[in-house]
Amino acid sequence: MKKFIVLLMTLLLASSTYAAQQMDKDVLAQAKKEGKAAFYANITAIEPIVEAFTAEYGVQGVYTRMSTNKFFATVTTEFEAGKLMADVLQAPMPIMEMLKEKGVLASYSSSVGQDYPEWTRKDDQIQVFGIEYVALIYNKELVKPQDVPKRYEDLTDPKWRDKIVMANPSAHATTISWLVGLKEQVFASEEDWRNFLKGLAANRPMFVASFGPTPAPVESGEKLIAISMPKYIITKAPAPLDWAQISQPLLGTPRGIAITASAPHPNAGKIFMDYWLSKDAMTMLAEKVGEYVLYPGVYPPVAGIDKAKVLPIRTLSDKEIQEWAMEFKAIFDVK
Amino acid sequence: MQRKSTPLTFGLIVIVGLLTVCPVVMLILGSFSQGLGSFGTFTLDKYIQSYTDPAFAEIIVNTIIFTLGSAVVATLLALFLAYLNTRTNIPFKFLFRIISIIPMMIPHILFAVSWLLLLNPSNGLINLFLKDVFNLSSSPFNIYTLPGMILVEGLLDLPIAYLILAPALASFDVSMEESSKVCGASNLRTLFMVTLPILRPAILASITLVIVRSLASFAVPSVIGMPGRIYVLATHIYRIIATGFATDYGMAAAVGMSALASSTILIYLYRYLTAEGDKYVTISSRGYRPAVIDLKKAKYPFFVIVAVLSFILIVLPVLVLLYTSMVPYSMVPSARAFSMMSLRNWTEVLGDPISILSVKNSMFLGIVGATLGVILSIFVCYAIVKVRTAASGILESLSFLSFSFPGIVIGVGFMWLFVRTPLYATIWALLIGYIATYLPYGIRPLTSAFVQIHAHLEESSKVCGAGTLYTLRRIIIPLLIPGIVSAWILMATMFVRELTLSVVLSRPGTEVLAVQVLRFAEDGLWGRLSALGIIMILISTTLVIIASLTGAKFTKIQTVGGDEPH
Repeated sequence: MKKFIVLLMTLLLASSTYAAQQMDKDVLAQAKKEGKAAFYANITAIEPIVEAFTAEYGVQGVYTRMSTNKFFATVTTEFEAGKLMADVLQAPMPIMEMLKEKGVLASYSSSVGQDYPEWTRKDDQIQVFGIEYVALIYNKELVKPQDVPKRYEDLTDPKWRDKIVMANPSAHATTISWLVGLKEQVFASEEDWRNFLKGLAANRPMFVASFGPTPAPVESGEKLIAISMPKYIITKAPAPLDWAQISQPLLGTPRGIAITASAPHPNAGKIFMDYWLSKDAMTMLAEKVGEYVLYPGVYPPVAGIDKAKVLPIRTLSDKEIQEWAMEFKAIFDVK
Repeated sequence: MQRKSTPLTFGLIVIVGLLTVCPVVMLILGSFSQGLGSFGTFTLDKYIQSYTDPAFAEIIVNTIIFTLGSAVVATLLALFLAYLNTRTNIPFKFLFRIISIIPMMIPHILFAVSWLLLLNPSNGLINLFLKDVFNLSSSPFNIYTLPGMILVEGLLDLPIAYLILAPALASFDVSMEESSKVCGASNLRTLFMVTLPILRPAILASITLVIVRSLASFAVPSVIGMPGRIYVLATHIYRIIATGFATDYGMAAAVGMSALASSTILIYLYRYLTAEGDKYVTISSRGYRPAVIDLKKAKYPFFVIVAVLSFILIVLPVLVLLYTSMVPYSMVPSARAFSMMSLRNWTEVLGDPISILSVKNSMFLGIVGATLGVILSIFVCYAIVKVRTAASGILESLSFLSFSFPGIVIGVGFMWLFVRTPLYATIWALLIGYIATYLPYGIRPLTSAFVQIHAHLEESSKVCGAGTLYTLRRIIIPLLIPGIVSAWILMATMFVRELTLSVVLSRPGTEVLAVQVLRFAEDGLWGRLSALGIIMILISTTLVIIASLTGAKFTKIQTVGGDEPH
């Protein structure tokens, strides 16, 4: 009887593997017929991944880069007019979740997604694959090793007065979420967190529109430290940038990927999503762009980052972000 | 000069209306709709929420100071440069002309960043230099202030002012100035009592256009104002858009309506102030020859003043650009920086297929767009200036509609419109959007030129049996060449560096230069950004030279002010 069950199980497994392989082949054949996979994303310098996809599958990857603040408006406008050209969408999780609510996303669980930690698959639509990690980036030629912050609280030291640059905490959604994340996931009490905010504000950081303009003033020495992203250490090399390896966790907004419900090339979209989540593509994303990806064992080539604890920030609603924006506006005295 | 409206005016109202009203209507609908699209349940919430913001009053005050200040700086500088350039025998005129229009060709974000490198209080080059020379303990200048914003915006808008004032100065009837001098007035007195009052329409046109433009400007308020915590309308709108992941463009449009209302009032004010158009007619059928004033001994001192001014204000930021394109990252000039210089950024940009495609697309849009835009502008100006009826007033206001809407919002208006047409995601959507939005760049210089052409010329043609189109082609257009050249240059250089519409409407295959520039900016790749910026300047310079040479070939009238007038 035991032998019979084992035999039955083996047969079932073999047939399901065969069926999956057959299905993959069918999907690939269909994808080739469709000819291309259109991908909307807000991520930097991913052309090599799109090119590698095209070379491997003979299906053309077409990448449209869309900035975060236009992503939702553009995708929903196109979707509502029946003209959404994207097969695959990649964006920060708050945007992906709103798109899911609007019915823009299709159900698709990529088989490669199984390789990722369980928390990255909350449903069968969105797969989280990375975290937009935020850290303290400093000019390693101008900041002495002993002065490099060891905790977030060190930024409140008066020695950093007029030396910090950060994205505007009364407007930049990702920075607002990050500050709220510190309260919920890093600081022991709300009082400690508020003291940190007050101390940071007292050091009069310079505010810029987003993360993009944060590294330049640090490279040039106009400022010494930025609340920014470690990926710039890779993309801006050989600029004298390094990250402060603090003892607390790093936080960031998770990035998600999904297929669209109205995909003009649905099979090509699936193949693209599978490829995007593969170890090869994630290695390229980590190594060339410096992104923090969630494929196990793959890290950006930033010294010490494999030891860091990088946590996802929970999704804040826009209403919540706007309320916090008003509060940070008062704390940081933004007019 | 009051006449009945012609079918031409109504035809133009329909064309310009379709081009400019549709995106604005979409935005108006969006501003009154619940949700994030252009159609939704009616609500006034977005207006109530935006205009009851306690910070709004301060933002308005900042905006008024910023826009007016920029308009005054740009117009005064342009007047000074254009006067010396077109009316005096100052040497090296060609150089001056290029210098006055260079800021038109640089992506604004890059120009603003160059100024940060020069004037930031921590290690701005000019500040470091002055601290060193005068042994100062702190930096004398801080760019992150309202005067800093006004200086940079004024310089960026200098070409608009210059290209409006130069043709007016070039086609100036000398007899009035001669009469003044015959009556014993000095050159200076003649300038203030005769020349400048006659130039009133052009000066007002320049101030109007710069105010409207700086109202919609985003680069300077975001790059310089935001770090200085000085908010104007454009950055206030950005704050509304950026705070959250689901951008509420309807609410941004609601705030933008105040910019639209101010611009409309300004246009009407301008029309009222220049209502007695006959006063400014200087090209009549009675002989016309712009004259050159001999600066005598003052020639070289004036040249030195202008040269130093141009060097500090324009050449230096462009040099910074060139420097940035050669160094591996943002660094203060030093022996080490110079030793690290390479062409890496250039090879990366020139080897990038999307950058090359964007060069091609932007050149197409610049040349074809500006040509079509100028043709439309000629008809519109004819209706505005020569057929001065209530309908032509409507036409003039319509032409400013998309232009006076803050840039970051109008692009979305066009997207909401084009997505309902087959033009969406094609290069034609960009072409139509550009012409519709920047029509005032064609209309303003042409209007100032049109205003100065006396009706006698046109009437003589008609008496001889010529029709409207024939009169336009044979009489008016040849006299308008300086204005046409200015308009074409303004439109072409604008289209080559257009960002606000492109960033919303461009898709794979229709990438344009400014979108590529923005990508580099978002990634903080200032070196590549600068290299691409210089490529943009080279393209625009080529277009400007071609336009000027073509203009010079078609007429003996001095164009933007390079050659000696005949």
